[in-house]
Amino acid sequence: MSVGAYSERPAAKSGEKDGFSVPWSRPRPKPRRAVSARLVSAITILVLLAAWTVAASLQLVSPVFLPSPAAVWAKFVVVARDGFVDATLLQHLFASLWRVFAALIAAIVVGVPVGLAIGISRIGRGVFDPLLEFLRPIPPLAYLPLIIIWFGIGEPSKILVIAIAMLAPVALSTAAGVRGVSRERVDAARSLGATRAQVIRHVVLPSALPSILTGLRIALGAGWSTLVAAELVAATRGLGFMIQSAAQFLVTDVVVMGILVIAIIAFALEFIIRRIERVLVPWAGRE
Amino acid sequence: MTHLTLDKVSVHYDGQPAPAVERVSLDIAKDDFVVLVGRSGCGKTSLLNVAAGLVEPVGGLAAVGGRPITGPGSDRAVVFQNDALFPWLTARENVAFALRLRGVPADKRARRADGLLSLVKLGDAGDKRIWELSGGMRQRVGLARALAAEPEFLLLDEPLGALDALTRERMQTTLLDLWAAAHVGVLMVTHGIEEALVLATRIVVLAPGPGHVVRTFETHFGRRYAAGEPIRAIKADPAFAAARAELTDAIFEGEAA
Repeated sequence: MSVGAYSERPAAKSGEKDGFSVPWSRPRPKPRRAVSARLVSAITILVLLAAWTVAASLQLVSPVFLPSPAAVWAKFVVVARDGFVDATLLQHLFASLWRVFAALIAAIVVGVPVGLAIGISRIGRGVFDPLLEFLRPIPPLAYLPLIIIWFGIGEPSKILVIAIAMLAPVALSTAAGVRGVSRERVDAARSLGATRAQVIRHVVLPSALPSILTGLRIALGAGWSTLVAAELVAATRGLGFMIQSAAQFLVTDVVVMGILVIAIIAFALEFIIRRIERVLVPWAGRE
Repeated sequence: MTHLTLDKVSVHYDGQPAPAVERVSLDIAKDDFVVLVGRSGCGKTSLLNVAAGLVEPVGGLAAVGGRPITGPGSDRAVVFQNDALFPWLTARENVAFALRLRGVPADKRARRADGLLSLVKLGDAGDKRIWELSGGMRQRVGLARALAAEPEFLLLDEPLGALDALTRERMQTTLLDLWAAAHVGVLMVTHGIEEALVLATRIVVLAPGPGHVVRTFETHFGRRYAAGEPIRAIKADPAFAAARAELTDAIFEGEAA
């Protein structure tokens, strides 16, 4: 074929100036219109909802075991307005949120200094590391009875159970963040005249902040899933308590509704803390 | 005049079979620009860290103005190859860091930081975040931050090592300008032979196994730039090429081909 063949090619499309087509001048092939993962997720949820509706309306399963989505929604409206076991949904929700946040604050107050001690001192690591490794894998339901024996059935016990579940993720993430601080950063601060305390305050803690926030996110998840266990004993309010008492009377629509509310709140908390991360540590991942 | 002196300093790291540096002596006056060059493993960075007070020598004495060095201090500010800046602070806050440690009031330290930023030609970048700056700009912020501590000596550990060739060349003159403006003694470690010649008033060539001084060159190219001669003219001078050949020979002397 003659060289002239190039000019006989059809008019240049984008990236084929003068009819030339060399690999590096061609535009990258656009990926085929990919179905977004979000769309797939939305469809999955809709399909499940439809299956649930069909199963409930055909009475494939007794409503005692599987109430219809409509019944759950109706119950949601009723409980939100009139309440269930002496408290409205909002009151249950706030009772639970208060416990989780009180526990989170306790876990931060104890966990961040403990993590710092593990990260910066050999003695701190020797003391706290085995304790945390011992505590971490124990399910909250296992130590709940002991805590009740020690601290009674009041509010402090409930908060303590949740806080213990949150402690390990907060402390271990803090320790990991502290150990990850770059040596040069610390040396630079010391050569600018920083004392040991100033290095910790002005260099180590801010450097570890992204890791600490990740720890808080994990802790919040752990605490939220410990909630029902904590509200098993002598609670009069709370989402976990609401589900428990509804189950005892086989009010399954309240049980399902409670589970959904817990899931939605957990999702919202995760979303909020990711937002906070973006504001507080905008440099994470950009260094 | 204050001198930074290393007197027969030896460095031996824990767990290493051989010392990293053996009996090296250096003397840096406040208007010197001393550059350490040599092959990998010759102990350049170890010596710089001894001067910084970050590494304790096993033998010999390191001192500033006759006082033994017992740890890091703001009289000897260090700039590392990777900028080691603080990403949670703006460029201005980074520069003002040493002043904040000393409790200088906010408005005063901001003014001083802005002055230093314009000295490194970043006068309008004060509010920028570190990740918004290029490699060369970051390194200039690092230099300004070191100067804010009002050190008597600047210790530069391959400060231009991570930069591209063109930025590097531009930063060399920036370094000379700063050195002239700030009246500090400089101890710098580099891999760049031409860089050493452009910048130094004295080049100390080290060789490994364990690190020791093989030769010392007094050079004048940096002072010629300080006196107003353009950097390109200096580099084009046949004397420069001759010095480069001689320095290269000294660095690779004794190395098995």
